Amino acid sequence: MKILIVEDEKELAQDIVNYLSGQNYLCEVAENYNQASEKILIYQYDCILLDLMLPDGNGLALLEELKKENKQDGVIIISAKNSTEDKVKGLQIGADDYLAKPFHHSELSARIHSIIRRKQFNSSNIIQLNEITIDLLGKTVKVNDVQILLTKKEIDLLLFFIGNKNRVISKSALAEHLSGDIADMFDNHDFVYAHVKNLKKKLTEAGYDNYIKTIYGTGYKWEI
Amino acid sequence: MSKLLHKPFKAFTIYALVILACSIPVYFWVIDFIWLNELDEHNRITKEQIANSFNNARIAESELNSLLSNWDKLQPGTTITESFLSVPKPDSTYTVLKQNKYVEDKAIDRFRVLSSYISINGKLYHLQIETNVEETDETILAIAVVTLLFFALLVIGFILLNKRIAKQIWRPFRKTLEKLKSFDLTTQQTVSFEKTDIEEFEELNQALQKLIDKNVSVYYQQKTFIENASHELQTPLAILKSKLDLLVQNKDITNEQAEIVNSIEIPISRVSRINKNLLLLAKIENSQFADKESIEVTELVNETLELLTDYAEAKEITINRALSEKLTVTCNKTLLEILINNLLVNAIVHNIKNGTIKADLSGSTLIISNTGKAILDTTKLFERFSASSSETASSGLGLAIVKEICNRYNWQIHYTFQEAKHNFQVTF
Repeated sequence: MKILIVEDEKELAQDIVNYLSGQNYLCEVAENYNQASEKILIYQYDCILLDLMLPDGNGLALLEELKKENKQDGVIIISAKNSTEDKVKGLQIGADDYLAKPFHHSELSARIHSIIRRKQFNSSNIIQLNEITIDLLGKTVKVNDVQILLTKKEIDLLLFFIGNKNRVISKSALAEHLSGDIADMFDNHDFVYAHVKNLKKKLTEAGYDNYIKTIYGTGYKWEI
Repeated sequence: MSKLLHKPFKAFTIYALVILACSIPVYFWVIDFIWLNELDEHNRITKEQIANSFNNARIAESELNSLLSNWDKLQPGTTITESFLSVPKPDSTYTVLKQNKYVEDKAIDRFRVLSSYISINGKLYHLQIETNVEETDETILAIAVVTLLFFALLVIGFILLNKRIAKQIWRPFRKTLEKLKSFDLTTQQTVSFEKTDIEEFEELNQALQKLIDKNVSVYYQQKTFIENASHELQTPLAILKSKLDLLVQNKDITNEQAEIVNSIEIPISRVSRINKNLLLLAKIENSQFADKESIEVTELVNETLELLTDYAEAKEITINRALSEKLTVTCNKTLLEILINNLLVNAIVHNIKNGTIKADLSGSTLIISNTGKAILDTTKLFERFSASSSETASSGLGLAIVKEICNRYNWQIHYTFQEAKHNFQVTF
C-alpha cells in the first residue's frame, strides 16, 4: 500500500516513514508543494498525509487540485495549526481526516488503516484478522464465530491495536485515542490499563490467542 | 476638585475686586482735586469780577459803606470787610466745613474758600468767597456705589463668558476624553481624534494618537509573538514526540531505558499543553472565536462529564449531577467547551482520592465543586501561571483561559472554599 507524506520537516517525515514502513506501507516523501503536486498527478496513493504549511504553498490548494482531478486517494491533513476553521475547510474540500501536531505515530497509523480500509474494501464493514471478525456497522466482535460482548471503548482499542500491529503503543497514545483532546490535560493515564485488561480478558476467555503484550514502562504491543 | 476654568475665574474676580476697590480712593482723589481746582478758579474769577465792578463803578465812599453793609444780601457766599492791613497778604485758598445757611435740614457742608484782598477807592478790603463743594463721604459713596455696580456687572459677565467658553472651547477636549474612556486595547481598534483649531488640544490629540498607535502596535506584536512562538514550538515538539515514539519501538530497549523514555514523555506533554494553551489564549484575545450559536449548557456539561468518566473512575471520584434545569446560552461553542472542560478537568486533577465532584446548574448559574484540601489564593487564582506547581500537571493557564472566556461574554466567575470544597461559580 502506497502512502505519500507531504511534509517539509525532514525529520518528521523520515520518522513517519520509519514507523509506517514496519506496517507494510510503501512510503514516499514530498518536501514541498511542487514535488507533491507532481507526484499526486502522476501516481495514485492509498493515502496522502498532507501538511498545510509548505514552504512554497498551502496544502489546502493541493487538496483542491487533487479533488479537481477527481482522484480517490485518501487524505489525512497533519497540521501544526490546530484551528477549527482549517479543519472544517479541509474536511469540506474533501480530506478524510485531520490530525493536529504533535501526534502519536500510533494514532496516525490507526487512522491511515481506517481510511485505507474504507477506501479499499468499498466501505465494507467487516474486518477479519486471524480468528477474529469485527463488524463495524453492527459493532459486534466474533472470535471463531462466537460473539463476544465488548464495550465501545474496547472495540476502539481493538481497532487501534490492529492498526498498529507489532508496534509499541504508549499508554498516552491510547488515552488520547479513547478520550480525544481531553487526554491532553492529564498526566495520569492509568485508566487505560483497566480497559486493556478487560479487553485481554474477554478475548482470552473466548479462546483468542493473547496477542496483546504489556511492554514494561511504556505501553502495549499487538504481536502477530 | 474644581474645574479648570473656575481657577482663573476665581483669581480674575479677586483681582478685579482689588483693582476696583483701589480705584475708589483714586477716583475720589482725582475728582476732588479737579473739583477744588475748578472751584478755586471759579472763586478767582468771581473775585476779579467783583474787583473790576468796583473799580469801574467808581462808587462814592458813603455809598460804598452802605453797599458793603448790605453786601451779604446782594452777593451771598462772599464777604467784603475792611482790612486793617497796610500791605495785602497773598491770596489763600482753603476748605471749611460749616452750617449751610441756605439749605435746611443740612448738618454740615463743605466750602471752598478764597481769601483775598482787593483795593476799592484806594482802601484795602478783605474779600472772602465761599463755594459749596460736595462732601468727601458723599463723593466716596457715589464712587463706591458705581464701582460696585460695575464690579457686579463684571462678575456676571465673567460667569456667563466662562460658561460659554467652557462649552465651546472645551468641546474638543471632552470629545478626546470620551474617546479615551471608551478605548480598549484588547479590541485592537485604534482611536482617531477630531481635528481642532486649538493648538494645545491638537497637540494633545496628536500625542495621544501617537501613544495609542504605539501601544496598539506593541500589543499586537506581543500577541502575534506569542502566537508565532507557539507555532514555532509546535514542530520541534512534534519531532521530539515522534522520536520518542520511535525509540520505544526498539526491541533492545531495557526496562530502565523504557522508564526514562516514559518520564520524558510527561514533561513533553506538559510543554505541549502549555504551548497549546498559550496559543489558545492568544487566539481568544485576538477574537478569533467570533461565530456564535445557541448551545445547551446542560447537555454540554453532561457530555464532558461522560468523556471524563475514565479519569474520574481512575481516581475513584464520585460525580453528582444536579442538572435538571435547562439552560441555553449564545456564544462560541469551542469557547464554552473549553470553559467547561477546564473547570471539570481541574475538579478531577485537583481532587483527592475517593473525593466527589458536583455539577449544579440552577437558573443561569453553573457551580462546579470538588473536594479539596485547602483554600486557594483567590487574588492570584485566575492569573497566568500563578497556580502552577511542580506537583500537578497543570499548565497554569486553565483558569486564566476560563477567566478570559468569561470576560469576553461578561459572565461572572467566583471562587469560594466551603466545607473542604472548592466551588467555581459561573453566572451566564
